[in-house]
Amino acid sequence: MNVLDTGKRLLGLDHGGDRYRFVDDPVRGPVHESRAAERWVRSTCGYCSVGCGMLLGVKGDEVVTVAGDPDHPVNRGRLCPKGLSEHHILTAPGRLLTPTIAGEAATWDQALDRVVGDFQRLLDEHGPEAVAVISTGQLVTEEFYALGKLARLGMGLAHYDGNTTLCMASAVSGYKLSFGTDGPPGCYEDLELADVIVLWGANIADNHPLLAPRVMANRDAEVFVVDPRVTKTAQLADVHVPVAPRTDVTLLNAILRILVDDALVDLDAARPLVTGLDELLAHLAAQDLDALADECGIPLPDIRRMATSIGNAQRCLVAWSMGVNHSAQGTETVTLLNTLCVLTGNIGRPGAAPFSITGQCNAMGTRETGFTASMPGYRSYDDPQHRRELADLWGVAEDRLPTERGRAYPDIVNAVMNGRVKGLWIIGTNPLVSFPNREVLEIALARLDLLVVQDGFETPTTAIADVVLPAAIWGEKEGTYTNSERRVSRVRAAVAPPGEARPDFDIFLAVADRWGCRDDLFPGWVQPRDAFEEWRVVSSGRPCDYSGITYERIDAVGGVQWPCPSGDPSVPLGGTARLYTDLRFNRPDARAAVRSVTRQPLQQPPGRQYPLLLNTGRTVEHWHTRTKTGRIPILEGLAPEAWLEIHPDDARATGIRSGDLVRVTSSRGVVDRLRARVTAIVRPGEVFIPFHWDERCANRLTTDECDPISREPNYKQCAVRVEALH
Amino acid sequence: MTAVPVELRRRDDPPAATPPTTGVWPELLPLDAGQQYRFGFSMSACIGCHSCEVACAEQNGLPAGTVWRRVGEVEGGTYPDTRRLQLSMSCNHCLDAACLTGCPTNAYEKLDNGVVAHHADDCIGCQYCTWNCPYSVPVFQPDRKIVTKCDLCLPRLGEGLLPACAGACPTQAITVEAVDVEAWRLDHAAADMPHLPSASLTISTTRIELPADIPADTIAASDWSLRPEHAHWPLVWLTVLTQVAVGVSATVADTGDRLTAAALAGLALVGSLAHLGRPGLAWKALRNLRRSWLSREVALFGLYAPLAALAVLVPPAVPAAAVVGLAGLYASARLYIVPGRPSWDTPLTFAAFGATGLAVGPLLTGRSGLAVAGVLLGLFALAANLLRLRGARDVSRGGTPQLYLHRLRAWTGLRLFTAAAALAAIGLGAVPALTIALALATEVLGRWLFYVTVVPANMPGSFWRHTAGSHR
Repeated sequence: MNVLDTGKRLLGLDHGGDRYRFVDDPVRGPVHESRAAERWVRSTCGYCSVGCGMLLGVKGDEVVTVAGDPDHPVNRGRLCPKGLSEHHILTAPGRLLTPTIAGEAATWDQALDRVVGDFQRLLDEHGPEAVAVISTGQLVTEEFYALGKLARLGMGLAHYDGNTTLCMASAVSGYKLSFGTDGPPGCYEDLELADVIVLWGANIADNHPLLAPRVMANRDAEVFVVDPRVTKTAQLADVHVPVAPRTDVTLLNAILRILVDDALVDLDAARPLVTGLDELLAHLAAQDLDALADECGIPLPDIRRMATSIGNAQRCLVAWSMGVNHSAQGTETVTLLNTLCVLTGNIGRPGAAPFSITGQCNAMGTRETGFTASMPGYRSYDDPQHRRELADLWGVAEDRLPTERGRAYPDIVNAVMNGRVKGLWIIGTNPLVSFPNREVLEIALARLDLLVVQDGFETPTTAIADVVLPAAIWGEKEGTYTNSERRVSRVRAAVAPPGEARPDFDIFLAVADRWGCRDDLFPGWVQPRDAFEEWRVVSSGRPCDYSGITYERIDAVGGVQWPCPSGDPSVPLGGTARLYTDLRFNRPDARAAVRSVTRQPLQQPPGRQYPLLLNTGRTVEHWHTRTKTGRIPILEGLAPEAWLEIHPDDARATGIRSGDLVRVTSSRGVVDRLRARVTAIVRPGEVFIPFHWDERCANRLTTDECDPISREPNYKQCAVRVEALH
Repeated sequence: MTAVPVELRRRDDPPAATPPTTGVWPELLPLDAGQQYRFGFSMSACIGCHSCEVACAEQNGLPAGTVWRRVGEVEGGTYPDTRRLQLSMSCNHCLDAACLTGCPTNAYEKLDNGVVAHHADDCIGCQYCTWNCPYSVPVFQPDRKIVTKCDLCLPRLGEGLLPACAGACPTQAITVEAVDVEAWRLDHAAADMPHLPSASLTISTTRIELPADIPADTIAASDWSLRPEHAHWPLVWLTVLTQVAVGVSATVADTGDRLTAAALAGLALVGSLAHLGRPGLAWKALRNLRRSWLSREVALFGLYAPLAALAVLVPPAVPAAAVVGLAGLYASARLYIVPGRPSWDTPLTFAAFGATGLAVGPLLTGRSGLAVAGVLLGLFALAANLLRLRGARDVSRGGTPQLYLHRLRAWTGLRLFTAAAALAAIGLGAVPALTIALALATEVLGRWLFYVTVVPANMPGSFWRHTAGSHR
């Protein structure tokens, strides 16, 4: 038989056609047999915050295919390449299958005993600062809610933050400063309704691909894209505004000044809605427009054209992303974008909003339910009424609630560095690749007494952990995600987690059990739905009101937007599309704050030693640190390595041709053997590296300078030198 | 023409019980008489997300590395007025499909609806179609040892469903259209764009809608990634050995020579099987004598080898063997002269192939004067070809001299050195074994360079995936 098979194979009598048969799938139509599903599970994509509805096609105990959910209001059946290949992560190599202690396989009991025992010992010996948690934007909301309670009330930790601080903290801080609470006021439909769309530091074509068709479908809109790079999105624009790096504030001040000068804002209408207007007008009046134009690199007539378009717009949507947030001035840039919208009347109406397009699939969920920048339900740590409400809802003593937010992510790292934090629990994130100034982080993490990393896959960070807790991933667990437009969608388990991996929810309850706070804080909880039901009560009456959202209501419409108070017949089945429709904001006197902002120059501008300015960002094929996408061959094939974009003028000056290997150096670190791509996508004097790779990690170069308010790192600008490696 | 071939779809399952929910046409796109289906692509609508590539691989269950639809990039302009344009392309379902014309087994079929379908059962994995297609569309799929390609999702079309790529495109940049075949034959300018081989080569049917503001001067993102092609060692030996054999047959002097010719011809013929993905079906290569030079080569060499063997016993058969062998040599060279492989697409290929026979064959029959002419003719063909291609901006032409003179310059140098050494050995009357070894070495090296320095005509590639699937 074997001889016969070998002979047949050598002669090639069999061309493997039986492996390439098509079957007629009743849902998909004819499809390769391996992708034909026996049943479909409705869920939501686990990559970005667009929140596309998905159908997971299951055959046996494997997810063999995915399809865009044609009934989901966000994506209407379409997906991006990451979504289209997402099922492959469920069978990808490198999963964590069992807990490990010091690299050796352990039982869950051993691992959890070690984690809880050591954390308790550190807290006993050194106080509540000694242990900190850094989580993610990619768990389900139910898990974030549970984790927040566990970390701050159960374990009594002083410091808990998420990697969300690395991506949208400035949007949160900016919204809070302007409007009193977090929460993007607009929705995706606004992209279709606006007559002027401003995409500010948002490369949606690469990073939120399913939003691009909404902009493109709006053929009548005038689209401005503000970005120093000629991104794919910039090329979709009617007008690309190639702002100089770190001059967004300058450009915004110039636009506001022109709007005021040309009477394109109705100050009388705006005055009762805001505070700080006179200060702002005085601040703007003191600016010299020509100097502003020089500083931001945009000719004054072009700024005037943009301002005039915004001023004359019936409905202007200003949407931004990491180009704004990833900056030491991110928060104040956000407040200026908010100010621009409020003063021009572009808020609370269809097609008009200051709209933060956030990053991770459930960054919103942790913003709402977490215990980081706010207490759950956007409650303030220092508001006595908020504290009382929460204490009553949970039946705990008020003094058990933390009195302040604690350290943000970069400050936790600093505290690890100076020895105040001795135990760290990292959940669902990979700081070694994603945190700026990697060399310093490596030193800091090595100083910890106990590093616990909870993740689905092996990552560079799990490799240095003392204890690794294997978690279930997307497709293996239940809950909800909330997307950028505040829409809550279901996430479902289609298959069981492999090996001994467990849903993060179960891990949190198991830790609570050992800590002795389970009955107290999570009474009767066995599944994520229990957390969701409690969260509905806790959020009731708050700006992010989930009380009217049930799993069943979500199922009926695909996704429900908060606020969605229960029993309010005026709220449509799909929830509330827009915030602030009554122009009453969540600040004293219901007024929005308009703030006067002055541009801060770069801490380390390019100079003789480091003559080029490095910008970092993403590419459509990959997600964050490639923990998932790096394991999917088709995505890896599309973008297998990091690269450096360099302008032809700079390339000529350094003797670099496309395809050459180069070395990039900053005062903090070196990245070697990057492939150069000579391209006029970037401005002379500026270079770009996508940050997804552990090998050739852009964050060895980036600065750990942070926004003073949001603590978000300044990933987008640092001075570097580029040399050819011939 | 027949209906959809069996291996493209299986109809064991009952038709869809519920209406399909994704990528459905409102109604089936009907074809009028004289029309065929084709892809339409709007470059302005494409955002370069690559969803089409992933959807194609998923729909067809393609293994990693086998790519039927690709997205390439062309860039030009001055910052900030830079334009980077994406081209998503799979099979162009050409009117004059070169894959089909050249296929020795007739594995390709132009269906009534215009789809250029590929019958896996008939494919022997010779990969000649991958040379013929100016867009490098057909790809050799290693796990099946045959060539595969886009069939416009024929099974989906049959149910009124868009092809997977078009169904997945978030911006509907990819469409399927009906085109009037005769009108398109007269005017197919809408299939052209910068860096794409001219549509008139094969009458590509894909309609490409270009943005108005394409910069005058553009580069393809893949241009940097010039690299040597696959060597095709079995073909190096096949061509060199047949040419030498014919060289012997044409100058044969004694029984030993006749034996040599027969042995070489037989060796070449058997060795050529190693090139095929499915050698057991080699006989199918005779099925397209009407159109395919590869079929003709197989037929003529298939006849030449037994004739050469016959001539060992029956000397009067020698002229017949020589004539058939020369005809085979002509067909063998002629099949390389295709637009899809610009560095081969020249009469100099005849000279190069003939030169090998002339350089080595007569050495075996003791006519070293002819061998000198052969070695020199080979060098002349190489030099003339490099001069012809030198400086061409199109990488599929200008890339070949770059490979010879930069990336592979050491091998080019060795080729010249061995040629000089062979000439010197002949001139100095060295022992036959040495002259033959040197002449054979320079010709084998030359042939290897011939294969590895060809740069396939192709669509413009992306920065990372320049020639996906264009070679083994």
